[in-house]
Amino acid sequence: MMGAFFLKEYERRPTDVTSMQATVRIAVADIIDLYDKDEAIANKLFLDKTIQVKGLITEILNQQDTLINIFLGDKNGVHKVSCLLDKRHFKAIKNYTVGQQISIKGICTGYLIDVELNRCVVVDSNE
Amino acid sequence: MKSLLVLNLVVLFSVNSTAQTKYYSKAGIISFYSKSSMENIEASNNKLVSIWDVSNGQIEFAVLMKGFEFEKALMQEHFNENYVESSKYPKALFNGTIEKSNAIALLSDNITTVQVKGLLTMHGVTNSVSTTAIITIKNGVVSAVSKFTIALADYKISIPLLVADKINKTITITINIPAFQLLISK
Repeated sequence: MMGAFFLKEYERRPTDVTSMQATVRIAVADIIDLYDKDEAIANKLFLDKTIQVKGLITEILNQQDTLINIFLGDKNGVHKVSCLLDKRHFKAIKNYTVGQQISIKGICTGYLIDVELNRCVVVDSNE
Repeated sequence: MKSLLVLNLVVLFSVNSTAQTKYYSKAGIISFYSKSSMENIEASNNKLVSIWDVSNGQIEFAVLMKGFEFEKALMQEHFNENYVESSKYPKALFNGTIEKSNAIALLSDNITTVQVKGLLTMHGVTNSVSTTAIITIKNGVVSAVSKFTIALADYKISIPLLVADKINKTITITINIPAFQLLISK
């Protein structure tokens, strides 16, 4: 019994964000602004948390369907929200193009030039 | 506070008056691998930013530690919480120089092996790193690959006693930038 528990725990895969409740829902421009003003404070608010962002798609970077990164924000802005899509949910982006509004949920891993979200999933447009 | 690399890029995106050739990339892959008797440890990370000033060879990388993805969730949690303490030290930074950078022929297809030296800061500790990198120019696309090994103890990353004799005390890091973007051309 205990062995089965430990084996299951040991083999556990990272959780699909689809089933995770967003800790914070925020507009793309607002999270970029908070990180740009003070990265340390923004990290306290967002780092490692499940964040749902809403904004315009500026670029969809698809590296031969091995990696899809969606950039959200102002097309003329230096900083974006960079959303690395969960491989299990690549199909969800197929109906979207640059310039469209989208809601995406993912785990915040911090700030480089962009605010970075990992394990992202596309959220229903009504949410 | 913004890192030097972020400041560099913000300035470079905003001002285009410098007479230099600079490349940047925010679409690279950094991965690490460690062979051990208990289990091999490997993870990859697509969250890195790099800037390379060809004229003086200066190269910088910034990587988000929470961006490393493992196949197993438990391993990823241990990595973040017990080993690299990624909430406390969210980034790893490399600041170095590519030797004879301005001698690389960027306009014709070629493969050049270069020496890279610099300082790697991770887990709040800075050490010097010396390695080689292969820079490839093909059909106008500039890419780079580098591999080097570090000792975990050098970065004060401690291995729990329970598994100390089963986990390799070094890790091999591979950096792959598939396509640098031209930022400024002289």
